[in-house]
Amino acid sequence: MTDLVRVNSVAKEFVLHNQGGARLAVLDHVSFAVKAGECLVLHGPSGAGKSTLLRLLYGNYKCTQGEILVRHHDRFVDIASADPREVLEVRRLTLSYVSQFLRVIPRVSALDIVAAPLIARGVDFSTAQKRAQDMLARLNIPQRLWALAPATFSGGEQQRVNIARSFIAITPVMLLDEPTASLDAQNRDVVISLIDEARRAGSALVGIFHDETVRERAATRWIDIHSFTAAEAA
Amino acid sequence: MSGMDMLRDAAALAPSPVLECDAVTRMYGERIGCRNVGFRLWPGEVLGIVGESGSGKSTLLRCLAGLDAPTSGRVIFQDEDGAVDVHALPEPRRRALMRRALGIVHQNPRDGLRMDVSAGGNVGERLMDRGERHYGRIRDVAVDWLRRVEISPERMDDLPRHFSGGMQQRLQIARVLVSGPRLVFMDEPTGGLDVSVQAKLLDLLRNLVRDLDIAAVIVTHDLAVARLLTDRLMVMKDGHVVEQGLTDQVLDDPQHAYTQLLTSAVLV
Repeated sequence: MTDLVRVNSVAKEFVLHNQGGARLAVLDHVSFAVKAGECLVLHGPSGAGKSTLLRLLYGNYKCTQGEILVRHHDRFVDIASADPREVLEVRRLTLSYVSQFLRVIPRVSALDIVAAPLIARGVDFSTAQKRAQDMLARLNIPQRLWALAPATFSGGEQQRVNIARSFIAITPVMLLDEPTASLDAQNRDVVISLIDEARRAGSALVGIFHDETVRERAATRWIDIHSFTAAEAA
Repeated sequence: MSGMDMLRDAAALAPSPVLECDAVTRMYGERIGCRNVGFRLWPGEVLGIVGESGSGKSTLLRCLAGLDAPTSGRVIFQDEDGAVDVHALPEPRRRALMRRALGIVHQNPRDGLRMDVSAGGNVGERLMDRGERHYGRIRDVAVDWLRRVEISPERMDDLPRHFSGGMQQRLQIARVLVSGPRLVFMDEPTGGLDVSVQAKLLDLLRNLVRDLDIAAVIVTHDLAVARLLTDRLMVMKDGHVVEQGLTDQVLDDPQHAYTQLLTSAVLV
């Protein structure tokens, strides 16, 4: 199988200029690859740098050193050095980030929020709406909520809307930041099947899961984050 | 993560930037307005410029929009028939370019609207500037644009001075966008509005920019506005750009001391 992600000698250090220039070395010598059809789980205690690594992969954090190659169409783009315009294009089609938090956009209905990634990929409006309805139903969002903006939804409902939005258009590389945190068993199972479907469709997934059941059912491979933790932080 | 990243066609296929800002410096005597600013903006991209008052962001915007000439440096606009150096154009041609291809949304709607002309007139006038003479068509387009910015066509014949601040701002946006600019400049577009009105306006701007696939430069001191509306961010301090990059990266992992201060002061 092909590598969809290649991480080469990545290091991350935060410099806090307004706290006397304190340096926080978090990750060092991070190197691994993820193939199509894999779900790689990052394992380790909180504070060890799992979320930091995921954010580096998405280009949300800046690498201090190293490269993060993501296969986009038929070439690799280095997320660590690509210009913003290129990163945005990779994110639009290839690389997505699934968190447990929905960024609520004022006045936009749950249905439109979920359909948006399809529309951005050029799917026509009515097909996108239909598939958004299917996703919301699958994640057990009551139909009476579909036309409402999620600002007033419960935390769990917002989280499921976000998962519906994230999995409606599967991307070749998907980063999962505790997507199942605090979900009930039924919805957790839905998320596990969505992850499996993405994997079988050939996506490469990298995830952090607090829940051990999910971890064991979703993972095809594990990496212990400790092997990448910077010496000073360890 | 960024607000608009998934929502719009990035401009990867566009062969050339719509705007190129090359080492732009604007001095006021000895004092620096903005210094040595450079970036490129592609079709469909939204660039935010943030910084506190006096940081040079409005000065830069005025240079980019063709309103003030830079002391040195160039502003290159990709027009339909090739690149033009905006400030090297003779005055009448620059004016014509600004009317035809550029749009400016002012912070104060009074600076962008004609307060003694009806709402419909404010929008229709721009079509007449472009040579449209058919009254019925002008009225239809004006009605359509008022609807798009959520102003009831019943208010078509009212004067903007009888509108609320939020409505005036929406009307100004309609007046700017009706002429189909390829590049829009906005100076604190939600400044001076209530929070709930801001949310409505931001949602409207988000959709319009996406649907029309225009490029935009937005000056704001509000990082939440920048997060929601922009793809890329430039941080200015004392006339200099101290940091620029992807909006979510600059806000979530700021590198420069000043950006760290700015982002730690508010939750974004």
